[in-house]
Amino acid sequence: MLTVMLISVALVVFLAGNLVRVVKFLRMPSPLRWELYPIPKGPQERQRYGGSYFEDSDWWTKPRASSHKSEAVFVLKEVFLLRGVWENFRGLWLWSWLLHWGLYLYLLITLFAIGEALLPADAGALVLHAALIYGYRLACPLGLAGALGMLAMRSWHPRVRAFTTRTGIFDLLLLGSIFATGNLLLTTGPDGLHSMIRGLARFPTRLGNHSVTWHLHVCLVAFFLAYFPFTHMTHAYMKYFMWHQVRWDDSASVHDPYAAKELAVNLQRKTSWAAAHIAAGGTAAWSEIVADADGNGAGKRA
Amino acid sequence: MHKVSDIASKCGQFSQAPVQSLMPLPAPYDRIADLPPRKVLNQKVLDKIDTSLDGFSALGLARPQTRKEEQKFVERFLSGLEKLLSKENNWTFIEQLKLSLEHCARCQTCVEACPIYTASGHDEVYRPTFRSEVFRRLVNEYAKPGGKALAWLKGEHVELNAATLGRLLESAYRCTLCRRCAQACPMGVDNALLTREVRKLFSMEMGIAPKEIHEKGSMLQLRTGSSTGMNARAVRDNVSFLDGEIRDQTGLRIETPWDKEGADVLLIHNAGEILAWPENPMAFAIILEAAGISWTMSSELAGYDSVNYGLWYDDAQFARVAVRQAEAARKLKVKKIVLGECGHGHKASMVTADRILTGDLNIPRESALVLLRDIVISGRLKLDPSRNDFPVTLHDPCNMVRMMGIVEPQREILRAICPQFREMTPHGVNNYCCGGGSGFAIMSGYNFEDWRFSVAGRTKLKQILDAFADCPSPDVKKYVCAPCSNCKGQFRDLFQYYGVWEKSGILYGGLAELIVNAMADINQPFIKWEFH
Repeated sequence: MLTVMLISVALVVFLAGNLVRVVKFLRMPSPLRWELYPIPKGPQERQRYGGSYFEDSDWWTKPRASSHKSEAVFVLKEVFLLRGVWENFRGLWLWSWLLHWGLYLYLLITLFAIGEALLPADAGALVLHAALIYGYRLACPLGLAGALGMLAMRSWHPRVRAFTTRTGIFDLLLLGSIFATGNLLLTTGPDGLHSMIRGLARFPTRLGNHSVTWHLHVCLVAFFLAYFPFTHMTHAYMKYFMWHQVRWDDSASVHDPYAAKELAVNLQRKTSWAAAHIAAGGTAAWSEIVADADGNGAGKRA
Repeated sequence: MHKVSDIASKCGQFSQAPVQSLMPLPAPYDRIADLPPRKVLNQKVLDKIDTSLDGFSALGLARPQTRKEEQKFVERFLSGLEKLLSKENNWTFIEQLKLSLEHCARCQTCVEACPIYTASGHDEVYRPTFRSEVFRRLVNEYAKPGGKALAWLKGEHVELNAATLGRLLESAYRCTLCRRCAQACPMGVDNALLTREVRKLFSMEMGIAPKEIHEKGSMLQLRTGSSTGMNARAVRDNVSFLDGEIRDQTGLRIETPWDKEGADVLLIHNAGEILAWPENPMAFAIILEAAGISWTMSSELAGYDSVNYGLWYDDAQFARVAVRQAEAARKLKVKKIVLGECGHGHKASMVTADRILTGDLNIPRESALVLLRDIVISGRLKLDPSRNDFPVTLHDPCNMVRMMGIVEPQREILRAICPQFREMTPHGVNNYCCGGGSGFAIMSGYNFEDWRFSVAGRTKLKQILDAFADCPSPDVKKYVCAPCSNCKGQFRDLFQYYGVWEKSGILYGGLAELIVNAMADINQPFIKWEFH
């Protein structure tokens, strides 16, 4: 029962923690532009070399071509092939790829298994059932190999060793333990891991007799879920903001009806930067700071 | 190998930055012994300023002399840190800052993309993630609830003292903000952005910034109209002199139009061109007149200087200059602003200031490279490419190319008028920084130039030499086209330091000069093969 409660609480923390993180970023003020090329938007010919609409004369009068397809292709390559690591750190790629694919498969198969468990018994097709079992059989070894490889890299490779933190090691050990206990569960029966997920997905009030490995695996997964929103691993989805709202955000204010309104709000914000050429120990609105051409410290007059 | 926490060490120099470790260059630049000796700072200076990062000083930061002074220094930093993480004080970049602080996997995928780190022979202090990691740990430990306990638990404690802060600040001026590392990061973490935020904190809270870009830069520009110190009268006198030079050199009678209301184009040069590379504004005047463009220059405050140094270190200075440049254009009721050959001026005005310049200040802004491309391709000028029949390569200024995607217009021109044009490797959005980016080209500090030439510019120099590997003799005159004032400043100093003109016959210059050099109606070559 404790195990079920643990995983339930972890799920709540996981959902709430990630939601808070996303909402926090959505509520950030509209920042200044800071894009970086190549940006997978616009005509294919330009994307080939990283060109932008700034290459057009009178660009503000021209229609803007935007290609969600190109963005999607870029993201898919990044997520599933780890393109950036492949191009810039080949030695890390294999282990990182294995770890990521282990995680993707584990997550995907678990979601399917939950779905299967919640459907009426006869709805679970035999083929799907078998696919799920084999999915776990693939996910756990991949993930374990990836975690061990990454741990080895972190321990000896001169490029990463000095910048490896205790947290980094802990995260890999945690993931490695999840995959290792998963592998052990796979050896206990033909569908050990799968039946565990199915059992938990129904939120039973009583659990049958299970092995220590079974309980350990569930506890590790529960801990990971509750821990995840407070780690850099949230890059899994925060990457969306980092790419779409920063790196690829080339939207010009001339085409944005809300730009002036957002700026007006931001210019009314009070700042207290203390340097002599800014607020000089006082407080002033950004509009006053910008108007203070001689830089004598708008805060003094505010 | 240093640990991140070693940055707080109170004794000695963090890195020796040995010349023996530098990335090798091709002959005749391959002998380390031939490098000019580094400037030796005397003990009096060393006692006064902080050189404990790598023996160089970009800022001349005074060491706190007493415990009380050190405490005050740390307190001011912490106050700035708090503001940097608040929406009210940092609405401009807080989103990007937090994203980069919180999502680094410490995978080091980005590090080999850094031309400074690799040129130094992988000196840890120049690793692009090093200063980011120091800064991230300071934020986590000193600006978040429970930070100290967590830092101890995670083994990420960094002592906050004058040594840490002095080194952090100096290290923020060992990155040119070229953003190659950001391009390589699979997460989208931007070390250059973090570097700029560190610079910003010190400037906006503590009033500490390199004098060349603050007192003698943006402050001077806001006071006189230009970071060169030229006021409106001086700039008009100087340009009038250049009109005379055009007459003497080419026989063309051109009078640069000033403050012409309703002109199609307000041309804003980097005013440094007028003083250091006058052939560039002269070439622009010749081209625009020959092409029949309705254009003007402005004598309003900041209306004749496209530089905006705030882009590199201070949001308030940045916004003040951007707004004044736009006000000058609004006053003249021009149809558009065209930015001359100045990379950071392009990015500051067209990209970063975009969400500041709304309403009637949102005067359309365009790159001169685009206008020049249109003029050249349209056939409005009679051009003879055989006049440019010498090896030419193109430097891509980071701000125009990697940060704006202006890649092809300059190439279309060069392919049309330079028969021996060849690319560097890599080029376009992947090109290397000149080593003078983010203000370095105008900074000398105490002995900062030694570092700027021997380390920061080394990768670029190698790239240029490789591009001309088929014609290394100084008898074959070669041209590096650098359509950016800051980059030209770096090339001037870098080439002088290594003796590139004497040893390899490589000259640098702008794009407009090549166009005028190819103009069939002008009798004499416009490009003078003299190093300056």
